[in-house]
Amino acid sequence: MTEDCYDVVVVGGGSTGTAVARDCAMRGLRTLLLERDDIASATVGTCAGMISSGLKYMDEPEIVDMCSQEVVHFNHIARHIIMKNPILTPMLEMSDLSTGGNFAEEYSKRAATRDVPPVLFLTPEDSRAIEPSLHPDIIASMYFEEFFIDPFRLCLLQALDTRVHGGEVRTYCEVLRIAKDPDSKCYSVDFYDRTTGEMGTVLTRTVVNAAGPWAPRVAKSAGATVEIRPNKGAHVIFDRRIVNVGVVTKAVDGRMIYLFPHENTTLLGTTALDSWEDPDTLVATQDEIEYLIKSIEFVVPRIREARIIRTMEGVRPLIPTWKIPEGEVSRGYEVIDHESEGKPGIYSFTGGKLVMARHMAEAVTDLVCKRLGVDEPCRTHEKPLPGNEEDVDIEELAREYGVSLHALERMRARRGTEVREILEMTREHPEWKTTICTCEPVIEAEIRYSIREEFPQTLNDLRRRVRLGTGTCQGTFCTYKAAAILAEELGLESDDYLVDILDFRAERWKGIRPVIRGEQLAQEELAQGMYACVGNLDQSDIEYEMKPWEEGM
Amino acid sequence: MHMETEVLVIGGGLAGLVAGTRAAEAGHRVLLVQKGHGATAYSSGAFDVIGYLPDALEPVANPVEGLSVLAQVYPLHPYSIAGFPVDVESGGESAVVLALVSETVEWLKDRLDKTPAALSGGLDSNLVAMTVLGTTKPTCLLQKSMVSIPEMEGEEDGVLLFAGVRGYADFAPGAAAKVFLRDRMMNKKYPQKIAHCQVRVSPSGTDYNISGVEIARHLDHPGSIDSLAKELAVYIDQFGATDVALPPVLGIQNAISNKEALEERLGVRVFELLGLPPSVPGLRLQNSLEQMYLESGGALLRGHEVVSYTMEGDRLISVQTKGPSREIQISAQAFVLATGKFIGGGLSGDKDGVREIVFDLMSVTGEFVSAEEASPSRSTSKLAVSPLGQPVLSNGVSVDSFLRPVKRNGLEWTTNLFSAGSIIAGYNYATEKSGLGVAATTGYTAALRVTEYLKEVAQNE
Repeated sequence: MTEDCYDVVVVGGGSTGTAVARDCAMRGLRTLLLERDDIASATVGTCAGMISSGLKYMDEPEIVDMCSQEVVHFNHIARHIIMKNPILTPMLEMSDLSTGGNFAEEYSKRAATRDVPPVLFLTPEDSRAIEPSLHPDIIASMYFEEFFIDPFRLCLLQALDTRVHGGEVRTYCEVLRIAKDPDSKCYSVDFYDRTTGEMGTVLTRTVVNAAGPWAPRVAKSAGATVEIRPNKGAHVIFDRRIVNVGVVTKAVDGRMIYLFPHENTTLLGTTALDSWEDPDTLVATQDEIEYLIKSIEFVVPRIREARIIRTMEGVRPLIPTWKIPEGEVSRGYEVIDHESEGKPGIYSFTGGKLVMARHMAEAVTDLVCKRLGVDEPCRTHEKPLPGNEEDVDIEELAREYGVSLHALERMRARRGTEVREILEMTREHPEWKTTICTCEPVIEAEIRYSIREEFPQTLNDLRRRVRLGTGTCQGTFCTYKAAAILAEELGLESDDYLVDILDFRAERWKGIRPVIRGEQLAQEELAQGMYACVGNLDQSDIEYEMKPWEEGM
Repeated sequence: MHMETEVLVIGGGLAGLVAGTRAAEAGHRVLLVQKGHGATAYSSGAFDVIGYLPDALEPVANPVEGLSVLAQVYPLHPYSIAGFPVDVESGGESAVVLALVSETVEWLKDRLDKTPAALSGGLDSNLVAMTVLGTTKPTCLLQKSMVSIPEMEGEEDGVLLFAGVRGYADFAPGAAAKVFLRDRMMNKKYPQKIAHCQVRVSPSGTDYNISGVEIARHLDHPGSIDSLAKELAVYIDQFGATDVALPPVLGIQNAISNKEALEERLGVRVFELLGLPPSVPGLRLQNSLEQMYLESGGALLRGHEVVSYTMEGDRLISVQTKGPSREIQISAQAFVLATGKFIGGGLSGDKDGVREIVFDLMSVTGEFVSAEEASPSRSTSKLAVSPLGQPVLSNGVSVDSFLRPVKRNGLEWTTNLFSAGSIIAGYNYATEKSGLGVAATTGYTAALRVTEYLKEVAQNE
């Protein structure tokens, strides 16, 4: 154990952890990121991707300022994975109107910074011209614009950029113990590599705990204390873009909820409930699902006719403030320096939002650098993430390669300039132009590219990288096809190939099951027909590991 | 518009087409209303009768044994119900059910014998079919372009070649080869020499996004099998292959003759694997059943669905159907409901419960509890793919011993509506591997009950 000491070990591969690793690596620190699952596999993977101007936290103007500035930075470094959504807040009663005024003022003050128009108030006719699904009885609506980022790609690009700058990223490595190393001034970090089944230890001068809902557990493994107020949120996901624009409205209890077109789907969210369950076991409840549908039904009356494909559930690690409603808890973040507990050089986060990830990283990296005596400025807001170098003319590429424009536009929205490299692969292998996931759609070349360049271990990891199986059929048709490609590229044995299929079915089913109804019943009959009736995988003797949410009856 | 018939069958999958054909053969005037293709057209080429008993972890020794146990232990299973209107002495249930299924299977084999979906196999033993995943499953009958794995087990020197088609993503020969090899090693069976390759079949001149139906249509053209044979010959030579497994794309019409032609040209055994939807063997079966039905003298109304109905006393007298351009009122003396489950469109579910869509009949779960007021998610297992299956797929209508849907009080909803296929509750075809067998047996039986009913009505008049 006398190997060189890392400057920093970052624990957690979500939006914050990957941003911290990138910042540290860019400032020349010897950086290692350890993630117990995959990049963006927990909280950030269940969010709507809004890099919010601060709709919900108008009472904290300094946070709104910061968010506005961060949106500008994201648009500079990651514009290829950002989309802008117009949003309407329809009003059915005068009381709805009164709450909008304050927001409109605060929003409009900062609109120019983000290059969006100030808030507009629209007549019912104009509102319904933009979004015909709105209730005919609305009396007005408020129009504004927000930016949305692909949260999976953001985290992955930050992780990949960490590597570009000399940092290391290891997924499926769970930190078990952080302790003072007796032989040096370093900490030793013990972790379990879930892929190889082996234990590992590394030395580091500092540790950044960016484990989100698991931050208390990671802190405890270092003999330190972190408290959070864990708060769960559910989304209901529809099969297509069922609205032209985002719709934000008051829920049954007066909280704000939203319906956002998101990639090829629409997200309805979210709930906010204090939760002390193991985050790994959480699934959306019937109460949460009906709360969301009932609430949006006030302003989008035909919502129940739309096809729901699944749900998702995540946990926010809120700043621990007690005896106030969740909505009044600050949406800012805190960096905890554990020096006061006798653990100098260990830092933890609580709170924060997706939009703040880079800012949070800058703050903690400043502390780490100061501690290590490194004097390098932060450049994470200046240097673009991979793929954002220039514009891509997909119409020309569609003609050149004979791949559908739709498939290419979706690929461009994930990858920017990488589209060219991926298509280049099909010169030698034209068969890789075959569409594997038809819902999204995703072609085989992109799957192979991702496997080679983006370190996925499982089909679930591929889903996060290329949106495999995220559409209407929820992987019914692409699971076995993509599994074969993954198996070939990674040289997997037959057991791993079949386990991958079962694992992906399990993960998709986790979100489908709570809300199975309508067309999704036929979809599931088809999936059972394929994987159980024909494939006979229900009777397979391969070793399948139960998932946390499957345990118990 | 108004039409009249003696027997009206609602639903054009296997259950409905078998019921319609059998009724037409019994001399009735039959009209069948078909909304579109249902689960039959998605099927794999295997004709399951019974592979596993409910919740069992081992396959049944053979269909005869499986059916015997079902008849004795699961009296509410559709196989058991179909066999039970006969006065059965206790202990004689198995024989009755066996005789019925056997009669159905022999009848159907005979009717399909000259079609592209001709079947081989019988109730005495289950075949072992290999799938495009490389896995195997027990099934009763197979389309004749396919083969039961034990037929290959004799020769220790056998070399099995999995051949895929470049740009056709539904079959990955490399992955399937590995899965099957593992199965052979674990079970200490042959062949254990396994190779894989990808050949080029390019119906439209491109090498990507090629569908199974496209390849099958291409291979239906005379002479197009020659270039496939040439491609295969290279790899057969290279690996010394004795057997060649292909995805199920050998033709919609000519799969069997194409298989024979390849075998003759190449001097090896050639067979198709079971496929996943969209399925060429499923299309063969659907087409062949429709042909069988039309040849029996039945009339077919395509693209129509039943939207309302009229009762008179305890009898159903007519239904209203809706098609792309018109509505038709159809009167009949007896009706068969064979609308399938969720794929077929016989059942639909929302957050409050599951309902039968044509007549709003009482829907029940596989446990025969009302499914009308329980969220479908409550009838599901946490496990995505397991021997428990998804219990919601056992939902359907509860039927009396004449296959007539019943009301809450257990009495028939009407005297002249019979049911067949997966609209019937109480079995999970995906885990039992019993789908087409139940569909055929209940379809066949429903037709028998219709005949009895019509005879009775005639006598009373």
